Amino acid sequence: MSSLSNLRISTNNLFVMIELELRRLRHDRTEIYTRAVQPVLWIVIFGPVIGNLRAIPTAGIPYTDYITPGILVQSMTFVSIFFGLTMVWEREQGILKKLLVTPASRYSTVIGRSMSSGVRSFFQVLIIVPIALLIGVRIVPNPLYFLTATAIIFFASGGFAAISILIASLMKSRERFMGIGQAIIMPLFFASNALYPVSIMPPVLQQLATVNPLSYVVDAVRSLMITGDLSSLLTDVIVIAVFDVVMFIIASISFKRIIE
Amino acid sequence: MDLAVDVENVVKIYEGKTKALDGVNLQVESGKVFALLGPNGSGKTTLIRILTTQFKPNSGRALVMGHDVTTESEKVRRLVGYVPQEMSVWTDITGYENLLIYAKIYGVPSETRKKLILEAIDSIGLSDVGNTLVKSYSGGMIRRLEIACALLVRPKILFLDEPTIGLDPVARKVVWEKLTSFKKEFGTTVFFNTHYMDEADLYSDQIGIISRGKIIKTGTTEELKRSVGGDVITFEIEGDTVDDHVFDIIRRLELVREVTIHNSELIVVTDDSETAMPLVVRLLEGEGVTVEKVSMNKPNLDDVFLKYAGTRLESGGSIKDVRQTRGRIRRG
Repeated sequence: MSSLSNLRISTNNLFVMIELELRRLRHDRTEIYTRAVQPVLWIVIFGPVIGNLRAIPTAGIPYTDYITPGILVQSMTFVSIFFGLTMVWEREQGILKKLLVTPASRYSTVIGRSMSSGVRSFFQVLIIVPIALLIGVRIVPNPLYFLTATAIIFFASGGFAAISILIASLMKSRERFMGIGQAIIMPLFFASNALYPVSIMPPVLQQLATVNPLSYVVDAVRSLMITGDLSSLLTDVIVIAVFDVVMFIIASISFKRIIE
Repeated sequence: MDLAVDVENVVKIYEGKTKALDGVNLQVESGKVFALLGPNGSGKTTLIRILTTQFKPNSGRALVMGHDVTTESEKVRRLVGYVPQEMSVWTDITGYENLLIYAKIYGVPSETRKKLILEAIDSIGLSDVGNTLVKSYSGGMIRRLEIACALLVRPKILFLDEPTIGLDPVARKVVWEKLTSFKKEFGTTVFFNTHYMDEADLYSDQIGIISRGKIIKTGTTEELKRSVGGDVITFEIEGDTVDDHVFDIIRRLELVREVTIHNSELIVVTDDSETAMPLVVRLLEGEGVTVEKVSMNKPNLDDVFLKYAGTRLESGGSIKDVRQTRGRIRRG
């Protein structure tokens, strides 16, 4: 009964939660495909059309290439924020109650459930990137860079899923959750460097963009996949790590509200 | 006496206003099947959730297998199995996978895992559908799978919250057959909540009656029925109630041990029903009260409940309970 064995059970719990998500996906992949429709439209239609205008300064990078990391990250945000819906459903059922009665700590349950949204985001990358390559987006041909970018998307997804757990603890119904989810994702997306550089934004929006965790995820993925310029990568990774930890702590505290 | 559950003066108040538990005192012997009987909203679920360490009581002390649920919750969680009232398995994976996930959460070593799961699936009679998605299961099958998930790690005590709610009689019977055989095999203490008096009557060694957040009586089913005594005669009368003086006259009759009135039913407990029945009928008619029907029974747990709680078991229940029950029936 030592704290060491508790730690082992809790770490183990993280991996079990991720395995659970993989097993669910193995039985039903519909969500992976339907969630991929929107980002693919952005890359296949929005990118080339706006790119033709040559109105957005992208430092010589073709516009579609420029927004591909932004669209990947947007897709990740959608997947993660709506992951909270699963939690709302599991609360209506008795699953969360039962997980609380297992020896694993509730923090490992919260973090594990959050990270399993990373699994879904990972599959989004696997669908979107080949399509981007097909329409001529040039990705830095370095497998290590690509893997790092995917890992960053995976871990950042956990932080955004934790936000959705927080929302789930405040919203008592699915309908309200849907509304709030939409109302959070789009502002996060537009007040970031996903579609245009921060420098062309109005000053207020610029400030918002610098505190927007999404900007750092986009920047990291863009450095690794498109520009190959890693000068700001360390800052990005630190910001994302801090964001994740803070969100995990807040979500774990709010988790108490979900169960009472 | 070895106590599996020992609760002293437990109080739980939700959000500073709703008093769910109002000083609960309860002792359950190890190795027994204990039924907590009470209507919806009486505090049964709250008590089970406190005993399974889901939240803390506002005051009082609760021990499970000798460990305090607040200060030693981790130890308690290693010893208990729990099946909540609502559905608690993932429906988008198979029955086998549900058991596998729980086995892994509990850290069952990989060498014994598969054997344990296959045994569990077999013993609950789901071998044929082990590799089918839980979505396609009936309500009774889902309940059995949930019980298997809880029993997989061989808990010392199993907590079940309304284990057969929304199940049809055949499914209820199968669920209880499985539970009884598990208990025999492993000596697990079983603690269950129910508002079905027949279930408490048939399957428990000991019953606790809970009403409005208090345990008002405990004992074996025979002890409880004996405490009501004699025969129970029910007079269905016209109108909701009788005048107080009529009520007093009946109560003072030497033959009558107890009398209550509830929703047009005047209930008389007596040791000599043959004499008492015509006597009370004459008396009521003499006072202008029309008797529409008379029936006579041995006391059942509902009469016990009426005696100690002053209401019938079926009364009460919120829209939330109805929705949960219906939800289960729809799936079932």
